[in-house]
Amino acid sequence: MTAPVDQPSAPVDHPSVVGLKESFPEALQDVRVTGAGQTVVRVDGARLLEVMRWLRDTPQQRYDLLVDVTAVDYGGGRPLEAVYQLWSVPHRRQLRVKVELPLERLEVDSVVPLWSAANWLEREVYDMFGITFHGHPDLRRILMPPDYMEGHPLRKDFPLRGRFTRAEQTRRALAKEVEDYYLPGEIRPGRDPQNLRPQSQGGAGSGPAAPDGGGE
Amino acid sequence: MGLTDTAPESTAAEKRPESSGGGLLPGIFGEGSPTFLTTKLDFVVNWSRRNSLWPMPFGTACCAIEMMAAAASHSDLARFGMERMSFSPRQADVLICAGRVPYKLAPVLRRIWDQMPQPKWSVSMGACASSGGVFDVYSMVQGIDTIIPVDVYVPGCPPRPEGLIYGLMMIQEKIRGESLVRHGEHRREEASEVGLPRADAARIGELTGPFGNSTRQNRVSGLVHTDVAGRPEDRRP
Repeated sequence: MTAPVDQPSAPVDHPSVVGLKESFPEALQDVRVTGAGQTVVRVDGARLLEVMRWLRDTPQQRYDLLVDVTAVDYGGGRPLEAVYQLWSVPHRRQLRVKVELPLERLEVDSVVPLWSAANWLEREVYDMFGITFHGHPDLRRILMPPDYMEGHPLRKDFPLRGRFTRAEQTRRALAKEVEDYYLPGEIRPGRDPQNLRPQSQGGAGSGPAAPDGGGE
Repeated sequence: MGLTDTAPESTAAEKRPESSGGGLLPGIFGEGSPTFLTTKLDFVVNWSRRNSLWPMPFGTACCAIEMMAAAASHSDLARFGMERMSFSPRQADVLICAGRVPYKLAPVLRRIWDQMPQPKWSVSMGACASSGGVFDVYSMVQGIDTIIPVDVYVPGCPPRPEGLIYGLMMIQEKIRGESLVRHGEHRREEASEVGLPRADAARIGELTGPFGNSTRQNRVSGLVHTDVAGRPEDRRP
């Protein structure tokens, strides 16, 4: 129990780390084991989708469950980190994948094509940290109001009480109608909100809010 | 008012010859506003109102658990006339806001209050609903009295069921003192104010000023004395 919390160069016998070192030697930037025994892998942001696809589809890895997507802002000008927590049901094994994002370029590929579970999780990370996920089918705020003007609340330089005065926040809140928090299709009765956004087959009712549906 | 205006005149015209004969009726029906009849009517109306208060539960957090406990068999709100939790604002008399209210929920609370028919009262249950409590953060309403009028504040985090019952009985006491003559005073509601903040900007600033640990926060211009990176594009004035 005297081991330090983070050991950068300790020999890691996690099977996925061994596999990653063989298959992606140049994309693998760092391997750490936390004090709780969690293996953390930091990969190149540009090759995230490729690495994740390999982790999901390789028979020896089979990370078929995306447990969580979140991010960390360490402050002090340091880059943000996007964090992906993976779990392999067949192998009963977990792995944490991190991507470092410099402050001036908070962009990374979306993993929604691999795990649908990433949809709302990445929306939350976008809402709270302002990280843009390329290829996300529906990247808009999920917790804060759609027209929230004060920024991204979980950034370290976001003031705890918000950027506007309380009076302005109250005025803005009450200027909204209850229905403004939903898309028009979402409050139409009889619609299943889960099937609201056609992701594969673009129907006629996809609506104007679809960000990148214009190409078809 | 147009309908009711005609009725007293006709009855007054009928009674006038009699009242001139016997001197009893001016004390009962007479011109002075709190007469025998109106006070007795006040008593009956207030008695029925305060003994059949139907709460509209607006429970958003742990206070709602205590509110449910207050309605359950051990402390049994129904003993005092809160017979039925009315989950429709149209059939409710008293709004119990139990729990924290984020700004995103503020228009919902305001609309539910506006949907309740008069006469109506409201209870702010717990620290969060009354003042924001520990949640002095970017997303939380700092006291629902900035949004709707509040009759009774129940302190506590959360208050015990006894506290909520005491608060509701204070509303009953308030009803006991009401008079139909001063109905407009008690029930004043401007149609132009529906959906607007209850307090003006200065008052909200007064009510929601930082206190305790929050005084270390700078609300407008970002964090003050930390070594956090300056990202000018994030600092919107």
